[in-house]
Amino acid sequence: MTRFQTMGRPATLLAAALLAAPALANDMDAAAAKPAQSAPSVRFVEVGEAAGARIVHTTRSFGDRHKAQVLQMFTEGGAAVAVADYDNDGDDDLFVVDSDEGKAHHLLRHDGLDGDGIPQFTDVAKAAGVDGGNDAMSICADALWFDYDNDGWKDLLVARFGTPLLFRNLGPGKDGDVTFEDVSAAVGLTAFGNTIGVIAFDADADGWLDLLLGNYFQPKNLLALETPNVLPNNLDYADNGGGVTFWRNVPLEGGGRGFIDRTKEGGWSHHTGWTLDLGHADLDNDGDQDVYIAGDYGTDRLFINRGDGIFDDVTEDAIGFDTRKGMNVDMGDFNRDGYLDIYVTNITDEYMKECNMLWHNNADGTFIDLSKETGTCDSDWGWAAKFADFDNDGWEDIFTVNGLRSRTDENYIPVLLEVIIDPQTDFSDVNSYPDIGEMTWSGYQKQRYFHNLKDGTFKEMAGPAGVDNDLDGRGIGVGDFDLDGGLDFYQTNANQPTLLYMNSTESPGSWLQMTLEGTKSNRDAIGARVLVTAGGETYLREVNGGNGYASQSTTRLHFGLGRAKSVDRIEIRWPSGATEEIAPAEGETMNVDQILRIKEGKGLSR
Amino acid sequence: MPRLPGALATLLAGSAVLALGAVAPAQTSTAALQAPAADATTDDASTPPAVPTPAKPGVRPELPVQKHYELANTALENGDHDTSLYHYERAVAGQPDDLKWGAEYRQVAIAAEAYDRSIEFFEALAEEHPESAHVQMNLGYAHVDKIPAEGAITQVILANTALTHFSNSLEIQESWLGFYTRGNSYMYWPAVFGRTPLGIADLEKAIALADGMEKLQFHGRAWAALGDGYWRLDQREKMREAWQKGSEMYPGLPELEARLAKEGDELDAYLDAQFETSRRVATHLREIFGGEASEDAP
Repeated sequence: MTRFQTMGRPATLLAAALLAAPALANDMDAAAAKPAQSAPSVRFVEVGEAAGARIVHTTRSFGDRHKAQVLQMFTEGGAAVAVADYDNDGDDDLFVVDSDEGKAHHLLRHDGLDGDGIPQFTDVAKAAGVDGGNDAMSICADALWFDYDNDGWKDLLVARFGTPLLFRNLGPGKDGDVTFEDVSAAVGLTAFGNTIGVIAFDADADGWLDLLLGNYFQPKNLLALETPNVLPNNLDYADNGGGVTFWRNVPLEGGGRGFIDRTKEGGWSHHTGWTLDLGHADLDNDGDQDVYIAGDYGTDRLFINRGDGIFDDVTEDAIGFDTRKGMNVDMGDFNRDGYLDIYVTNITDEYMKECNMLWHNNADGTFIDLSKETGTCDSDWGWAAKFADFDNDGWEDIFTVNGLRSRTDENYIPVLLEVIIDPQTDFSDVNSYPDIGEMTWSGYQKQRYFHNLKDGTFKEMAGPAGVDNDLDGRGIGVGDFDLDGGLDFYQTNANQPTLLYMNSTESPGSWLQMTLEGTKSNRDAIGARVLVTAGGETYLREVNGGNGYASQSTTRLHFGLGRAKSVDRIEIRWPSGATEEIAPAEGETMNVDQILRIKEGKGLSR
Repeated sequence: MPRLPGALATLLAGSAVLALGAVAPAQTSTAALQAPAADATTDDASTPPAVPTPAKPGVRPELPVQKHYELANTALENGDHDTSLYHYERAVAGQPDDLKWGAEYRQVAIAAEAYDRSIEFFEALAEEHPESAHVQMNLGYAHVDKIPAEGAITQVILANTALTHFSNSLEIQESWLGFYTRGNSYMYWPAVFGRTPLGIADLEKAIALADGMEKLQFHGRAWAALGDGYWRLDQREKMREAWQKGSEMYPGLPELEARLAKEGDELDAYLDAQFETSRRVATHLREIFGGEASEDAP
């Protein structure tokens, strides 16, 4: 029996978990034969310019270095976004990464709404001291907000092809503005890595957030190449990537917190693939955080936590090995059976038909890919994807961005083909690849919005929802930026302007949001699991620390509640293992459509 | 040109062969398609080695080839793939032009997921028998057999290598089967690579060859594939014209009827599914040896 189950899980959810899972395949078969349901009214309006949030990202140029174009081609990322309320003023801010040498990042502070209800952002990166990092020998690739020292102020980690940067949040100064200081060296984050993704979670349940860094290349500096053999040694089975590095949060001798490399001890060191993204969640409902790794040029991997921060690689038995180009990891309970499922984007294009993977959690330690059956298989050259209930109907949808490189009408694929089919090609050698020039490679692809039809299937509706732009998407930061209960999102694009989509769905369902604060648990409550029961239905969410490629969404949990008019019960399982239930007193009502603050062990704090 | 065994000569003349697709059983004598056993004498030394080993270059029959063939089938019936492969390799090594034995061997390799073993075996055989169009054909098929089990990029490499061997086969001897097979292989390449016109050209050659041959129903498949090629090029009029003409020449051919019965999105979905790269293509050639029609081919 798991801790989750002993906390008194509602009978409705337990029944759903027992009944829904085995019936799902049949349901899906039936759904596939049914006519499409009536179109929902999910709508978004793009307001990036009016919000002051329009940023043009630039990937790193390799200048006149040997095979500069090839290196640029293989590092065509870095357009990342991280969402968090870094200044504790109640609304979510944005950190937007740039990647080219000398280019500044952007800390978009949320300064409230204008008269039209559009959020207004001000770029304060320079003043706050977080605009740097793209030096001559480093390429910034991802960002993560997390409170590493549990002081109540979110700190900022910038992942680089280089050494990571950790900016400690100093809180507001005399002028009221929040500033940061670079503590990377002081906390021990000095190891070089070609890090492309990072997540924070409390792996060993000690109340402090640990770091898992996903590394693309091996730790060789691409900006000072000593060997041309730095690229994948195989395009389906590569094993010469950077793997992951696991950094445990530990006390420093002189006080404060720091990090120590525990990759080997944690069970991670045998993974030498080309990590593109990482995601964590409690996948086996045993109370600790497990990890899924999306690998480019080879297999993804699933690691199950023993509970003490040591992980077992269960890939072979749980999901099997694959040869796809894993790009993104996010977790959500798309069929509401009480077990978190996993969505992974791959490449499904005119020349490569991999299909995404929607790993349905079989609740027995194994997963089955239902992307084809659910209609979520094809999102072209996928990047970030996020579960979110955009119309508050109680069912999580999926938004996914895509597209590699949109340039001229000339197509790079036939050029690349000549290299691929040459048996003499050494794929690892940068000299093997022809320059791409201004050619297009899987560009001008329209984003996908998969609307959950509540029957185990999804319907692609990016066009009607107004989000079918064809930019070269990379990251998605989801948050409720106008605090109206509808989830909005910020889309980053490689070498192109960002987009801010505000949710304008007509007649959405009711909702509930909550910000959790750990006391015994990590302050950010990352890893906390919440069940909300309303209108006879139970909904599951977990706080995550940076799931999704080049993305971090808000840690404020959002629940769409359909037509429910009140909340019956909130059950929380904190990362510490403590459980808590919040319910209205007899004769009272807990309202929907509100934002709650809940502190571990202390209940609601308004 | 080296002298061809009787059965091979018959086959290359295009009498009754088929690479891909589902048709009614061939209406020709299968006996003529099978090379005679080189030596039908029995030998008591029929017990395989305790641990069968994969074929290496230079593998030789240790028994009369017909005996190896019988032992291969006995082992297969017993579910012993390793032993079956061992004997098949020795049977085929002794009779490399036997398309049927080679095809049967590959099916056992598929069942055993011994794709590399099959490729290596035919590679070695091709080195020893550079004059054999059928060895090249089987070597190409061995690569095709592996495609569904591989990742997207490896699939491309395998498909291209298969094409090379199909071309080698045609250089040795032109045949309806050779052009039909290679033409179909070109069709699996996404349009972006510009190989569809090459496929159309091969299929037109197959159709032209069929004109001078005994009319067999499954020759109509070349027309179906030709229309598919025009579909890939978005030349819908030519597509339907090819299928219509094929249907007039080969009335009742299921592949043509299925295509002609569909239009619009339904047709696109149907043809998209035919060219799904992860789908296993039937390469057993069973129909040409009088076997049951295949339902797992384009």
